[in-house]
Amino acid sequence: MNMLKVCGRIAAIAALVFTAVSCNTTNDSNPKLDLIPINSVTVDGYTISLESVKELETGSNDLFWKIEQDGEIMTPQSVSINPIMDMGDMMHSTPYNQPEKAKEDDRYFKNMAVFIMPGGMMGSWSISFEITLQNDEVISGEMPIEVASSWRLTSVRDDNDNIYFITWHAPKTPVVGGNDLTFMVHTRESMMNFPAVEDLEMEIYPYMDMGGGSGHSTDFTNPKASGDGLYEGSINYSMSGTWTTSVNLIAENDTLPEVVFEYSVRAE
Amino acid sequence: MRRCEIGLSAKIEIMKKLIYFIAFIIWAEPMLAQEISIQVLDRATQQPVVQAHVKDHSEKVLTVTDADGYFTIDPEQNPHVFISAVGFSTIEIHLNSDTKIVYLNPQVFRDKTELIVVANPEGQENVHAYHQRSSTQNMDQFLDNIDGISTNKRGAFAWEPVIRGQSDQRMNLTIDGMQVFKACVDKMDPITSYVETKNLSKLDIDKSGSGVAQNGSGRSSVDLITQQAESTPFSMEVNSAYRYPDHFRTFNLTGNTSDASGRNAVRFSGSYKKAEDFTAGNDRIINNTQYEKFNLNVSYKHTFASEHSIEANYITDKAYDVGYPALLMDATKALADIGQIRFNFAPSDGNLQFQKIQLYANTIRHWMDDEDRDVANREVMRGMHMPMYGTTTTFGTRVNGRANLFDHSFDWFLNGFSSNAFGDMEMISIYSGIEDMYIYNLDDVQTRNLGLGLKHQFQLSKSVLMKVEESLNYKSLGTGSDRYASFFEGAYGREVETQQKFLLSGSLSTLWMVNDRWSLSGNLVYSERMGNHMELFGHYVYNYTDGFFYDGNPWLDTERSFNTDINVTFETVKHSFTFSLFHKQYFNYIDGVLAEDVSSIDFQFKRYANVGNATISGGELRMLNNFSHVFSLENRVSYLYAQNQTLGEPLPLISPLKGNSMLHIHHKKNMWMGEVEWAAAQNRIAETMSTEDRTNAYAILNATWERNWLNGSLTSILSINNLLDNYYHTHTSIGNIPEAGRNVMVSVSYNF
Repeated sequence: MNMLKVCGRIAAIAALVFTAVSCNTTNDSNPKLDLIPINSVTVDGYTISLESVKELETGSNDLFWKIEQDGEIMTPQSVSINPIMDMGDMMHSTPYNQPEKAKEDDRYFKNMAVFIMPGGMMGSWSISFEITLQNDEVISGEMPIEVASSWRLTSVRDDNDNIYFITWHAPKTPVVGGNDLTFMVHTRESMMNFPAVEDLEMEIYPYMDMGGGSGHSTDFTNPKASGDGLYEGSINYSMSGTWTTSVNLIAENDTLPEVVFEYSVRAE
Repeated sequence: MRRCEIGLSAKIEIMKKLIYFIAFIIWAEPMLAQEISIQVLDRATQQPVVQAHVKDHSEKVLTVTDADGYFTIDPEQNPHVFISAVGFSTIEIHLNSDTKIVYLNPQVFRDKTELIVVANPEGQENVHAYHQRSSTQNMDQFLDNIDGISTNKRGAFAWEPVIRGQSDQRMNLTIDGMQVFKACVDKMDPITSYVETKNLSKLDIDKSGSGVAQNGSGRSSVDLITQQAESTPFSMEVNSAYRYPDHFRTFNLTGNTSDASGRNAVRFSGSYKKAEDFTAGNDRIINNTQYEKFNLNVSYKHTFASEHSIEANYITDKAYDVGYPALLMDATKALADIGQIRFNFAPSDGNLQFQKIQLYANTIRHWMDDEDRDVANREVMRGMHMPMYGTTTTFGTRVNGRANLFDHSFDWFLNGFSSNAFGDMEMISIYSGIEDMYIYNLDDVQTRNLGLGLKHQFQLSKSVLMKVEESLNYKSLGTGSDRYASFFEGAYGREVETQQKFLLSGSLSTLWMVNDRWSLSGNLVYSERMGNHMELFGHYVYNYTDGFFYDGNPWLDTERSFNTDINVTFETVKHSFTFSLFHKQYFNYIDGVLAEDVSSIDFQFKRYANVGNATISGGELRMLNNFSHVFSLENRVSYLYAQNQTLGEPLPLISPLKGNSMLHIHHKKNMWMGEVEWAAAQNRIAETMSTEDRTNAYAILNATWERNWLNGSLTSILSINNLLDNYYHTHTSIGNIPEAGRNVMVSVSYNF
């Protein structure tokens, strides 16, 4: 009987040892909206604030719009915007969509804008807005913004001088391991119209230059069109450091000149 | 007549007194001497063991058992004895007045499970015993001279043991049965370096892997059994050695003591070693072969009145500045902490008997860098420094005993462990403007195993014994890091989950004692192997044998193998001859396959896959001859033939025909030893799977003179290795790093 007790205890110890490190710790991946203010203007007693997850830069940006009156957040019926680059002798817009109520936080309206050039000596960016409140009151105005240069946007022209703006949409911050990859491609029909291009083929090649004239690639899948100018693929980064990814667009069986994105991949 | 009557009555009286006296002596003698009678029985058959030797700690034979297995002894005078008998494992036991029966475990398959006593006193006529070559010899050097075992070398330190052409994941290497996982992803820290020869009690070598119940896998096994605390009076040994020209120096202090009752015993052993760069033949200095190392081993044993005992043992090993000339970098620091607690049950009867419960934990940490290398001009990973770190932490338990079920007795073994591994590498460019790089080689990779093994022995006839062993293991391997798992999801396009397998292995062994000198034995072993944590979850790991970077494959199928061997043994008190032949067939052999998509000229990648079949065949010959008290001769020869059947080429890093012969001459307090170490050329090389090249034959001469002084308290050893200063390398030396040239070592040890 005693032996059975001992046996039971041993089995318990064995099970304990075996399962000692077996608790899986899963990362809490609940994305908390962490916004920084970009700019705000006050029109007719209403304060219109533009916020984003980071400072605005060339390439795709998520814009979050908030309307307040006396510190109280208002939920408008609709928000309509139009980004404009004023270059003095000419003006143009950029690829963007119109704001809708943000799924992440219903106090905000959210839209995406691809800034195709940085602000600065060449010209300055502003976004004109028109907001319809619940009481049908319409507020309109203009919000100047700063747009910095980034690695996430490049462009290429075909033989007919059609320009294609290629935006590195995701991952925003590449990290080691598997990354879902999304590009956006837009073209320019007029200075105010930059529609998405959905009928391209895309070939990429990620490469790690490790210095001294040597380097290597890694596993990837070529992005495929998924609608709205989005092209979705993947890259599996084997290490952190500076990577390049070359992109070839194939438009109507015509391979356009190669463009290269150079960026940093983080370990975490 | 009266004189006659008087004489008769006087005689009767004298006779009476004599009888009374004898009766008194017979009655009183045990009282005076307090001797007790103890019977020694075979645990398997419950039959008396005849002619079992009862010895004290100095190996002096106190008595032997009679025809009924009995011996008498004074437990006060000899509270701790060793009992040994031919065909049985030696047992150490603490005696008290209640001790009535002692069981010995049969060791009928000893020719397969080679039990080598390292610390065997010189002169003892035990043909199984290895002569103590030198207590200052490293464990890997010691293993390298055993037939059927070789070592993969990367320099002067931490050679990786190989049994019958199988290394690393294809063999079991344990310390007191404990699983200890390497922390270095480049395998630069074989666990043999954590047990100094001074602390080794026995080497349990199972070349065929037939000890399935214990090893849990059917793989060839080496168990380093450490010296535990003994219930002997205080003893201490100081040992020091110096070798020229590499200025190797070592100092060791070992002590053992117990209290008056012998129930509490403590042993400690500390050693320090340091070596500079060694010199190969023809005075060629081999740069970057230095090392420095500390080792401490402490053990405690308490024996209860009930004859149960508990043992605790702790090993800490710290190596610094270890040069690896064959590799891209050197080990700056390697730390090992290995602890265990064992509870040993006293012999008992009953249907379920426990013999031992062992709980253990260990952690290994390993740092490497290439700060002392010319990184700007090397071929691989040019222009960057690559500090690496690796660590493993393992917890485990082993429980074993004996059971009786439906009139059938068998041994049972439970084995469970859980291990966590991490490894990473930074890459810091020497060129400005290049961002630092970082690689995970392993991240939160968890290996878990739970196994049950059973061993059955059957006496088919008076001369034929059969042993059947089987083992069932549940093994799982996975990573707790989602980020790390995504490497494999990206590479293979599958979702990574913890991989789980049930692994079966079994063995059938037969021993035929043809007569009292000749015996014939054979083993058939079936083994299933799940890839290890490197094969399933390693990432970007440089393999210095073929120059490729390896990525793991979590979806590897189970590798299977059949091993058959046959052994012929001739054995007398003075002479022993063993000849073994084996053939191992692998199915689903796990090896690397080129990953063309991601490889470039400078960076070639492989991924583990089940590539097909492979075989390893070979044999060993061992002869030990004690011609007289003066002369003894030892000969060992090994041969391997290994083939990757899928590629149609030899497997890499296979030793050629090799051997060694040693002649010992004993005269009074002197022992002279002359040795020839040799190997044939190896022309069978793996051209696809490795960068190895052909190796020339060599033979070197070694000589040793050992002498005892001060009634044996002081021992001096003078040894000259590679007497003719040959410049040579072994086939299993990575990067063809040569062996040491002529070197002279002086060693002195003093026993208190």
